[in-house]
Amino acid sequence: MTRIPSQPGPALLDVRGISISFGGLRAVQDFNLTLPGGRLHGLIGPNGAGKTTVFNLLTGVYAPDTGTIDLGGAPLDGLKPSARAAAGLARTFQNIRLFPDLSVLDNVRIACHLRTTGSMAGAMLRSASNLGQERAILERARELLAMFDLLDRQHEDSRGLPYGDQRRLEIARALATGPKALLLDEPAAGMNPQEKVELRGLIRSVMERFHVAILLIEHDMGVVMDICERITVLDYGRTIAEGTPAEVQRDPRVIAAYLGDPADPATGE
Amino acid sequence: MTLPTPTARREAPNPLMERAAALRGSGGMAAVRGVAPVLVALAVGLLLHFAIAPQLPEFYPRVILDIGINVILAVSLTMVNGFTGQFSMGHAAFMAVGAYTAATLVYYGSARLMGTADFASARAHAGVLSTMLQGREAAFFTLGDGIFIVALLAGGIAAAVCGYLVGLPSLRLRGDYLAIVTLGFGEIVRVIIQSQTTDTLYDVEVIKATPWPKLMRYMGGPVGFTGLPSYTSLFWVWSLTVVTLVVAFRLKVSTFGRAFLSIREDEIAAEAMGVRTTTYKVRAFVIAAFFAGIAGGLYAHTIGIQLNAGELAFMKSFDIIIMVVLGGMGSISGAAIAAGILTVLPEALRRPPPVDLPWFLLVMAAAWVAALLLIRRPKWWLIAVTALGAAYAWWQQPTLASPLMFWTVAGSGVLILLFAGRRVPGLIGLAIAVTCYIGVRSAAERAGIKLSDYRMVLYALALILMMILRPQGFFGVRELWTAWRVQPLHPRRSRAEGGESGTAGRVPTA
Repeated sequence: MTRIPSQPGPALLDVRGISISFGGLRAVQDFNLTLPGGRLHGLIGPNGAGKTTVFNLLTGVYAPDTGTIDLGGAPLDGLKPSARAAAGLARTFQNIRLFPDLSVLDNVRIACHLRTTGSMAGAMLRSASNLGQERAILERARELLAMFDLLDRQHEDSRGLPYGDQRRLEIARALATGPKALLLDEPAAGMNPQEKVELRGLIRSVMERFHVAILLIEHDMGVVMDICERITVLDYGRTIAEGTPAEVQRDPRVIAAYLGDPADPATGE
Repeated sequence: MTLPTPTARREAPNPLMERAAALRGSGGMAAVRGVAPVLVALAVGLLLHFAIAPQLPEFYPRVILDIGINVILAVSLTMVNGFTGQFSMGHAAFMAVGAYTAATLVYYGSARLMGTADFASARAHAGVLSTMLQGREAAFFTLGDGIFIVALLAGGIAAAVCGYLVGLPSLRLRGDYLAIVTLGFGEIVRVIIQSQTTDTLYDVEVIKATPWPKLMRYMGGPVGFTGLPSYTSLFWVWSLTVVTLVVAFRLKVSTFGRAFLSIREDEIAAEAMGVRTTTYKVRAFVIAAFFAGIAGGLYAHTIGIQLNAGELAFMKSFDIIIMVVLGGMGSISGAAIAAGILTVLPEALRRPPPVDLPWFLLVMAAAWVAALLLIRRPKWWLIAVTALGAAYAWWQQPTLASPLMFWTVAGSGVLILLFAGRRVPGLIGLAIAVTCYIGVRSAAERAGIKLSDYRMVLYALALILMMILRPQGFFGVRELWTAWRVQPLHPRRSRAEGGESGTAGRVPTA
């Protein structure tokens, strides 16, 4: 397991005060995050707290009303999702979004595309450099699939994979983009207890091998409390707590958000 | 403690491309791969033009020529509708832009460069490689050929520019909205061409005295561009068809083709994985429009064609879409085969070719057996029905080639398509469908019905049946040579080789 240094390094992903409203609904308010390289940060909160909205803001699906996002010192504001992926921000999706009619191998190969520099004319002529590019992509995709134990299924359509394999393929695909920071949206959802145990090992080994920082949304407290070094808790779009797992677990506001506030007459007690 | 120096942002290290440089292919082989398709294209064109066409009955070369043009159109549209999943309904408009650009350049260009009164006569000015006109002496390559080739290319480029202009506003649009924009573009092109002056200039001196911008208005308008030289030949059409096929296929299997396909599969995920979706949508439009423009130029100079924008309107776009849908969205070979079938089918219904019954019976039976072997869970009752039917036919007329035997086999083929149509591999489904058509035709002949009267009805009926029985098209996203791979209907269960080894391997070792 990685040793957690007591002094945090320079921020890789630096999010300052982002907010967004949909109509009258303040989905996310004044969200801040400092994620140093090679760290694992958890993002938790009850249903509808705005966790996935934070991901969509970070990856550029939505433009925030206020606030700034920096990755590795370079601002991401105003960039399209593809440009953010090129800058080193990769994600998985809560409701799996693989390319269903394409093979497992092609799913990963597509994610290698943004690192290629060849021209389309080269592809039409099958030039020497284009061939090298295709070989390198194939090699890298196979490496990743082998690492995720999906190599023997590389030619199957991804829609035919079992659920757990689809989740792992999404992580493999995200890693193929060569990210600095990886955003995982509920990777354990729908997994059985055995798969969840495997997933913890998988996430740790991904961090060690690829030196990526991970921001993790997860409902499964076992997974979150076990592997996250720091946790941010969201409720109704606001950050209600931030700290180590132990600190967060003791925080009365977190307990209130999850179990109901004992002082609030609306929740009984 | 050293602070990171805030220098200008350097190129980020790119391990993938460094590895790619190490894995480069050899330059010599690259040259071979670059030249080989051109040689194959020339060989196919020469073979058809000089060896095969003269052997065929009068009408056939023209059908083969039409097939070639339609293959170019269908394969190019596959790059937009099939690869990127954008629904373009204006493909014929790109064809029209290419056709009129090429026609104007050939007609008025010839008049200016040749300066003779017979400038628009292919018989006088085409080389041996051009034109379908028979029985004439000509030089190997003439000025007319040169003008024709340059005009074809110019038509392609003009259409590509239009593709870019249509692609730009459609960046933000998807699905139905994009379809409406392309539909509108098609109408605009048609109306602009048809609203020009009705005349075509034919006096060389007048043409020479008129400046180009003004000449471009004399395209025949609503009457059509008359008097174009018929340079188009099997050689030009099929050489360019082969080039189109090679380009489309090489794109599909390259990293760019996968980028196209990812947009069709899931645009949001594609964007999140770093595919610049808007850029690639426009690129697909431009490439597709280029080839459609070339096809338009070829069409305009085909013998017996009166170039008219009304012919290249929405209905033509629709014909091309049907080819793409029938072939399977994203399948190049599927689109090409569908283009071939849909070109031949109306003609074949008009004038049926002679059919050798035993030969077709053999093809049918082979396709039938293959279909039964390849679908999961074969329909045993179907096999029983066919065996009984065949036995009865043999008892009635003890010969394999009897009409009764034919109907037994063809009938069970239809049943296979009806009950297992979605699971039958594309090529076999196609073989069964073709044999069914022959069955219908021979039955009609015997009953004394003139099928040519009903051909559009039959054509429409075939399309309706196709959409009901096999909505994904003959090949789905696959190609001819991989279409035999039947995809399992349900997710396969994990291999039952014991949980321990099956699960332990899943955790990657660092």
